[in-house]
Amino acid sequence: MYNIFIVEDDPQLAALLGEHLGRFGHRIGRVRDWEHVGEECLAFDPHLVLMDVNLPRYDGYYWCRQIRRSSTCPILFLSAREGKMDQVMALENGADDYITKPFDYELVTAKVGSLLRRAYGSYASGSDRTTTVAGLTLDCERLQLSLRDRRIELSHTESQILDELLRRPEQLVSRDRLLERIWDEHAFVDDNTLNVYVNRVRKKLAQLEIDGAIQTVRGAGYRLLPVWEPPG
Amino acid sequence: MRLFLKDQLPLFVLYIAQLVLITLIYWLDGYRKPAISLYAVLLSTAALGLYLGYRYAANRTFYRRLEQPLTTLSASPGSFQPSPLPEALHRLLQEQARLYQADLLGYRSQIEAHIQFINQWAHQMKTPLSVIHLLLQERDDPQSSAIGDELDKLRKGLDMVLYTARLDSFEQDLHVESLELGALIRRIVSDQRRLFIRNRLSPRLELEAAGVTVVSDEKWLVFVITQLLTNAVRYTIADNAVISFRARTEAGRAVLEVEDAGVGIPDADLPRVFDPYFTGTNGRAFAESTGMGLYLARQICDKLGHQIEIASVQGEGTRVRITF
Repeated sequence: MYNIFIVEDDPQLAALLGEHLGRFGHRIGRVRDWEHVGEECLAFDPHLVLMDVNLPRYDGYYWCRQIRRSSTCPILFLSAREGKMDQVMALENGADDYITKPFDYELVTAKVGSLLRRAYGSYASGSDRTTTVAGLTLDCERLQLSLRDRRIELSHTESQILDELLRRPEQLVSRDRLLERIWDEHAFVDDNTLNVYVNRVRKKLAQLEIDGAIQTVRGAGYRLLPVWEPPG
Repeated sequence: MRLFLKDQLPLFVLYIAQLVLITLIYWLDGYRKPAISLYAVLLSTAALGLYLGYRYAANRTFYRRLEQPLTTLSASPGSFQPSPLPEALHRLLQEQARLYQADLLGYRSQIEAHIQFINQWAHQMKTPLSVIHLLLQERDDPQSSAIGDELDKLRKGLDMVLYTARLDSFEQDLHVESLELGALIRRIVSDQRRLFIRNRLSPRLELEAAGVTVVSDEKWLVFVITQLLTNAVRYTIADNAVISFRARTEAGRAVLEVEDAGVGIPDADLPRVFDPYFTGTNGRAFAESTGMGLYLARQICDKLGHQIEIASVQGEGTRVRITF
């Protein structure tokens, strides 16, 4: 549970970010008065600040310097400018990290998680990433899958595939989406590799005595059916 | 000197005609002493010569200035003699230069304002793109995928606008450093993974094990390689085809190759692919070709001091090569 203050003038983007980070149990604060961003931020007592660069009154660099006067909390910049110099500018003004627009939720989650861990140490609290469907719990950080009292270890790719499937139970998850998710800088995955990985996930599920949960939709993708008996 | 003589030619002709006329009048009147006449002619010619000599000396710089071609728009340099003609010319030239410069300055600041506007605007458009991108991330259906594809095109289009606008102020926007080509290619290919997945293509990386280091600007180089990658994907129709990225050292120089097994470029089009707005046969057959990608790639490579070459066989594929 951390306090995260979002300084972003696009209401839609701020709402999406807030909603996303809120899902991890964080308390989210947003700017109301663009004249007093610094005061509002400090009043919220944030553990982390998400800061846009182009803002209505003063820019993000300015507010970053203001906040830095009385707080050492991590500040993560969100900017449309991807130039090296812009990043250097942000870091020189007191930012801890930098994300360029447009970005993925995964990247925000990862950067926020790592900044919080670096600043406050504790590994488990808050940034936990678990998904549960009918008692089957996937922990993406620890790469573990558990049902009742049984727990098995997963590989990184397996947990990524299961995460996609568990987030949308009973719905079709397209092959393209899975491929995009498990694509790796060092090993590019093609269709056949995806089949292999999905079969491995099926075997892992079989270890928890779950059979036939992953249904193949020919030419389209996969679907996870909660065929197992939920606990309790 | 020549201009001066040419300018004074009518005076010579008139002077000689007058000498002849006056001598003739005296002659017909009965005054016939050739020696005296000749003496008068000599004396008068000498006086004319002195006058012309003085004129030339006084207006030397004026004639010299008129004969010299203009090289700059700045006010004419060099000292002017304090006589009416050179002074008048000097004033005229200065005035003209001033007017032109004022005009130019106006246009220059207009262009700068325009570039700044484009810059600002393109960056502002990234916020709505981010919103759409995040909204789509939660969805997985054919429509969302299609919107995602279009979103990618918008992003690339915006980048193209940004980089084209920046090209003119290239030197101010340069950050040269040592880069590992293999890591850079991995990152670019990974960033563009959607493009590969959606087009059923796969990348193949052939990187020298020891790593290939180049000195370049990361942002511009990433833009160039992304352009080459996008082209390679766009002009490859066959499913499950491979697009190869090679990084190696050849004769002490780092070389990057992007090769596809796509439709290739007709020989007739090949010499012109680096021209702006040139789309060629392929551009007409495949939609969304702006004809700017390779042009920009070439411009950027020129400015970075890299050499870019293209080789292609129609129906077999295209290979673009950058030598660092």
